[in-house]
Amino acid sequence: MAAKKLRRAQLSQEMCERLSRYQITTCQDFLCLSLLELMKVTGQSYYEVQKLLCKVSRACAPKMQTAYEMKLRKSVSPSSAFLSTTLHSLDRVLHGGVPCGSLTEITSPPGCGKTQFCIMLSVLATLPVSMGGLDGAVIYIDTESAFSAERLIEIAASRFPTYFDSNEKLLCMTRSIHLYRELTCCCVLKRIMSLEEEIISKKVKLVIIDSVASVVRKEFDTKLQGNLAERSNFLTRGASVLKYLAEEFSIPV
Amino acid sequence: MQREVGTLPLAPALRARLAAAGFQTAQELLDTGPCGLSKEVGISREEALEALQVVRQECHGDAARTAGRSGATRKCTALELLEEEQTQGFIITFCSALDNILGGGVQLTKITEICGAPGVGKTQLCMQLAVDVQIPECFGGVAGEAVFIDTEGSFMVDRVVDIAAACVQHCHLIAEAQQEEDLRKALETFSLENILSHIYYFRCRDYTELLAQVYLLPEFLSEHSKVRLVVIDGIAFPFRHDFEDLSLRTRLLNGLAQQLIIIANDHRSAVVLTNQMTTRIGQSQSTLVPALGESWGHAATVRLIFHWDNSQRLATLYKSPSQKESTIAYHITSHGFRDVQPPAVTQSSGGTELNPRKRPRTEEEKQ
Repeated sequence: MAAKKLRRAQLSQEMCERLSRYQITTCQDFLCLSLLELMKVTGQSYYEVQKLLCKVSRACAPKMQTAYEMKLRKSVSPSSAFLSTTLHSLDRVLHGGVPCGSLTEITSPPGCGKTQFCIMLSVLATLPVSMGGLDGAVIYIDTESAFSAERLIEIAASRFPTYFDSNEKLLCMTRSIHLYRELTCCCVLKRIMSLEEEIISKKVKLVIIDSVASVVRKEFDTKLQGNLAERSNFLTRGASVLKYLAEEFSIPV
Repeated sequence: MQREVGTLPLAPALRARLAAAGFQTAQELLDTGPCGLSKEVGISREEALEALQVVRQECHGDAARTAGRSGATRKCTALELLEEEQTQGFIITFCSALDNILGGGVQLTKITEICGAPGVGKTQLCMQLAVDVQIPECFGGVAGEAVFIDTEGSFMVDRVVDIAAACVQHCHLIAEAQQEEDLRKALETFSLENILSHIYYFRCRDYTELLAQVYLLPEFLSEHSKVRLVVIDGIAFPFRHDFEDLSLRTRLLNGLAQQLIIIANDHRSAVVLTNQMTTRIGQSQSTLVPALGESWGHAATVRLIFHWDNSQRLATLYKSPSQKESTIAYHITSHGFRDVQPPAVTQSSGGTELNPRKRPRTEEEKQ
C-alpha cells in the first residue's frame, strides 16, 4: 500500500512527472512531506495541495468496516477460527485452540518440548477438517536443524493409527510439509518475505518458525553498540510481515 | 488588508512573479483588478481572477477572525471555558479507581496516551472505552460512536462482544433497580448489534496508511458526527522499525500529534493512543520508558502508564494538567476492565456479583 505509485492514485500525468523530478514517485514519499514542501514541489496553492493530499490519502487509506460486520463474517465460518491442539485443557484455556489469523508465540526453557509441539501441530494441520485439522500444507522454517522426519512419522502413526493406516497416506502427509532450513537472520527474513507466493501456490494452512530467538541471539550480541537497534529492526520487520500473512490468509502462524 | 503578498497561500511561482512585479500588500492586488493584474504580471485573466479570489477569501477570513467569530483561533474567556468543561462528559472505564484518578474518566477534546509493557491491558482498555463511549446519556455516558484504528492487529471481535454484553447487562440491572421509563427506552437502542455497528474499524499496516487515514479523518468525522472517541491502538508500532531517518520520524509524529489535537477540539471527541515501552539504558541501571522519544511526550495531554508489580496490574497517572500523580490497581476480568476486589465486602447494585464493579454514578443515582 505504501509503495503504491502516484500514477495509480489518480493524479494527473503532468503532476506525476513533475513530482518524479524531485524523486517523489510513491504515496509514501508524498505523504512524508510537509505542506510547505508540497506547495514548493507541486507549484500549487495551499487549497489545491490539500485536495491533492486527500486524493493520495484516499488511494492508500484502509477500508472501513464496523465491528458488527467483522463479527458476522466470523460467525459465518466458526470452525475455521481455531486449530485445535487435541490437548483438551490447553484448548479450553485458549478458547478453542491456536487461533487462525494471528501470531502465536511458544516460549520455554530448552528441552520442554517446543519442537515436539510444533511437529505435532504440523501433523494436525494436514488432517482433513472433519478430524479437526486444516487440510492444507505446512511451511516449517527450521533454524536449529531440530526437525526430524522420522519423529514426524512416529507421531502420525501412533496418534492417528486409523487414519494413517497405509504407507501411502503417511508419504502424502509428509509431502505436504515443506521444510526450509535457514541459518542466518537475513536468510530468515528473505524467506519470510517470499512466503506470500508460496502460501498461495502450495495452499499452505500453517506456518511455523522454530525458532526465532536462536538465530537472533547467535547473530546479534546486545553488548555491542548499535546491535540492539538492528536486532529490534529485524524482529519488528519480520513480525509485521508475519502478521500481515496471518491476517490476509487467515492461517495460524 | 495590509497583508504582505509573500504570506498569501498562492502557488510559489505566482508569488515570485507578483513580488517581481512590485506588489507588496494584498490591498494593492485587490485594487488592481484581474485585467490589470494579468497585463502587469503576464498571467492569463483566469489565473489572475483565481488569485484575487484566494486573496479575498484570506482577507475575509482574517477580518472574521479578528471579529471574534469561530475560526482557526478562537477567543473566549476563561469563564466560558469553565462552563464548557463542567458540562463536558467523560468516558468511564468501568474501573472506578481509574475514573477517580482521571477526574471522572477519559476527557473529551483531550489526547490521552496509554503506555505499557506488552500484555498489560492497553488494548483491553481501548476496547472497553470503545464500548463505554456508546452508553446512553441517562446512564451517565456520552452516547457517541467510536473509531478504532488498529496498527498491531490485536483487535479481537469476540472480546468486544464479551465486553459489550457485560456492559449491556450492567445497564439492564441499573434500569431494573431504578424502574424509570426513559432508562428502559434508552436500553432498547443499546443492544449488542447496535454497539458493534457503531465501532468503525480501520486496519493500518504501516505508517503511510496511518498518515493517510489521519488526513482523511476530519472528513469521516464530519460525515459521522456522533463519533466521540478515536482510538489509535499502537501508534508506536509502525514508527519503530524501518526508519533510518529519525528526524523524519519526529517530524511525522509531530504533524500527526497536531492533526489529532485539531480533530479532538473541532469534533469534541477524545483521542486515545497506546504506546509501547522501551528500555533506556542509564549509567548503572536500565529503566522502562515510553517509546518514541522525549519529543513525543509533549503530544499527549494525559499520560497513563500501565505496569506490573509481581502479579498485580497497576496504572499510574504520569502526566495530567489537572489531577495529581497517583497509582491504582486494576483487574481484567472476562467482563472487561474492572476494579480490584476490595478486602472489605461492600454492597453493590446487583447483590452478589462475580465481579465487584463500583461505579460512582450508580451510587449517586441510587441516592
